[in-house]
Amino acid sequence: MSADEPLLTLENVAVHFENESGLLSDDSEVVRAVDGVSLTIEENDVVSLVGESGCGKTTLGKTAIGLQRPTAGRVTYRGHDIWSIRDGTSDADLSWQEIRQSLQIIHQDPGSSLNPNRRIISILSEPLRQVNPELGTSERRERIYSLLERVGMSPARDFADRYPHQLSGGEQQRVALSRALLMNPDVILADEAISALDVSLRVEMMDLMLELQDVFDTSYIFISHDLSNARYFTQHGGGKIGVMYLGQLTEVGPAKQLIRNPQHPYTSVLRWATPDLAAVDAPPQELPMRKIDIPDPVNPPSGCRFHTRCPEAREHCRTVDPDPVPAEESTVRCFRAQPDSQYWDSEPIEDREERSSSSSRP
Amino acid sequence: MSLRTEEMDGNSVRDPVIRMSDVSVTYDDGESYVLDGVTVPIERNEILGIVGESGSGKSMLASSLLDAVPDPGQLSGSVEYRPEENESTEVLALEESELRRLRWEEISMVFQGAMSSFNPTMKIKEHFIETLEAHDAIVGVGMDRARELLEDLYLEPDRVLQSYPHELSGGMQQRALIALSLVLEPNVLVMDEPTAALDLLMQQSILLLLQELRAKYDLTMVFITHDLPLVASLSDRLAVMYAFELVEIGPASEVIGSPTHPYTRALLNATPNLNAPLSEMRPVEGKSPAPINVPSGCSYHPRCPLATEECRANHPPDEPVSPGHTAACFHWEEARTEIELNYDGAETGGDQR
Repeated sequence: MSADEPLLTLENVAVHFENESGLLSDDSEVVRAVDGVSLTIEENDVVSLVGESGCGKTTLGKTAIGLQRPTAGRVTYRGHDIWSIRDGTSDADLSWQEIRQSLQIIHQDPGSSLNPNRRIISILSEPLRQVNPELGTSERRERIYSLLERVGMSPARDFADRYPHQLSGGEQQRVALSRALLMNPDVILADEAISALDVSLRVEMMDLMLELQDVFDTSYIFISHDLSNARYFTQHGGGKIGVMYLGQLTEVGPAKQLIRNPQHPYTSVLRWATPDLAAVDAPPQELPMRKIDIPDPVNPPSGCRFHTRCPEAREHCRTVDPDPVPAEESTVRCFRAQPDSQYWDSEPIEDREERSSSSSRP
Repeated sequence: MSLRTEEMDGNSVRDPVIRMSDVSVTYDDGESYVLDGVTVPIERNEILGIVGESGSGKSMLASSLLDAVPDPGQLSGSVEYRPEENESTEVLALEESELRRLRWEEISMVFQGAMSSFNPTMKIKEHFIETLEAHDAIVGVGMDRARELLEDLYLEPDRVLQSYPHELSGGMQQRALIALSLVLEPNVLVMDEPTAALDLLMQQSILLLLQELRAKYDLTMVFITHDLPLVASLSDRLAVMYAFELVEIGPASEVIGSPTHPYTRALLNATPNLNAPLSEMRPVEGKSPAPINVPSGCSYHPRCPLATEECRANHPPDEPVSPGHTAACFHWEEARTEIELNYDGAETGGDQR
């Protein structure tokens, strides 16, 4: 293993959860939250994961930072399999403790991740004590004050003495970000970290995260259901966006490419769902999918998983699962990116969701 | 979108179904205002989007419409409800029993987070039956209507009615809640962040369905949210709230196409937008005031780049900007040239700040 190993790699990772289906039945069902995902995160990288609720983006993110054990495949940190290190079966010169410390997370709801009974100063002292045990109390305080000032919480001494409930949502999220940064991490998983903030505060929070990326030398895995946020964050950070659908990555590429020239029909659907101020006068459009609800990940559709909703689906998509192929600057899991595919000779699937009582829809 | 007519003024519409006049909500014996002199007519069959940041008073506006302000808030002003063109009821003068009737049968409300609106131990069907019975409606007829509404919202009636809330996805629950809110055939549907907990794709899908429901059932809708871009294309008119007041109101195409209040312009520039150049997105400087600390004069003046002595001293009136479009700003004409917008379709030039 060379020194040039990427920071994090996921190789063909799957996460399947056993779900007891009921008290009276013996059947258990398997939720296939993540299936066959490969992804690389470099130093100072920004990788955004976008998709609907239930597409597996949070599970994938947690798997990438070692909070979730994959049921298949490998997750490596600088070339070392993190789960064999955790299990003590690796001879790497690296401890689980060190890995955990360098892979941090901030959640959507910072209020619930901050201990309500402790002041901000004490919440932030804890990681510092872990990472820099040699620091004295006053030096620790000084560092915390200067970080609080840096994240815009001024006067820092005043904020440091407050309890989490005395802060706004945006301020709580800054504390959560500060706490993660004090661990001196290589990667921060930001799981819908700005989604609970008012629209008007999101750009500010994303700017702050990106500024601190340079200062602290960290990478981000940024999870969002909002393509415009992912675009802002990723394009500024010079990274890539991964679009997830039912446990698979359907398209991975640079932000610009995904927004301007989406290669996968599902990426186009997400693009449709993103409000466009310039199109306020446009007439309401048709739903660009055949069905409104995402299928159950317990029993994902055969073939291409998007075929039950895809406006471009053909018979070929029912039976065959497309392999990821390069298209433009993206990697895409769709036959439409494969000029030689049998897809082009098969019949379109036409079963748009109809409502018996409605005549308003063609 | 036939309602975007020239006759509609910020303060006079042709046939308002609700007319809020000088509505205020105060706490602490009138010391702090959480809604300050809001006057807005709601046109029959329109979709009115009310936009404001957290703590701007937008939910208080929703509660005021139904005289449901939490204690010990003091509600004043007038909320006139006009079920027909020549019928009028003063909502704030109604008895509790009359209010209860009004609240589901005439004006219905949907809040964020269906999870907390449904009783987790009751099937969806029982919620419909309970609501119908509480209002002395014929359950058989009501359930037929429930099924139709569920189908309108792309739900399978049999499956959904037999489900417990937790057996449905968030998007399905929220759609079931919208169906429930319409089962007593109200004229007006007021929604307070009805889609905020859902992913963007489900939010947009629901907005599409709401437009269909409006047309099919002749509904008037009030959609309250912090998410201006989300409601922009749904709404006929947009009203922008800042610090417990309405600062700008007008046809949606105008409020987005030529926003006039400096706050509206700053808010739009702060919005992540697929088409805006990244370098020109910038946050709104400063913080919104708390109810006990609203600045004198124009409450936006401490954050406004155009503020003058006049703004600090006097409260700006609603200036008519164009037919149906008003903005509470002394410097609205300047705002349009001084504060550049960063998205296509607006009157942008270069970046000059």
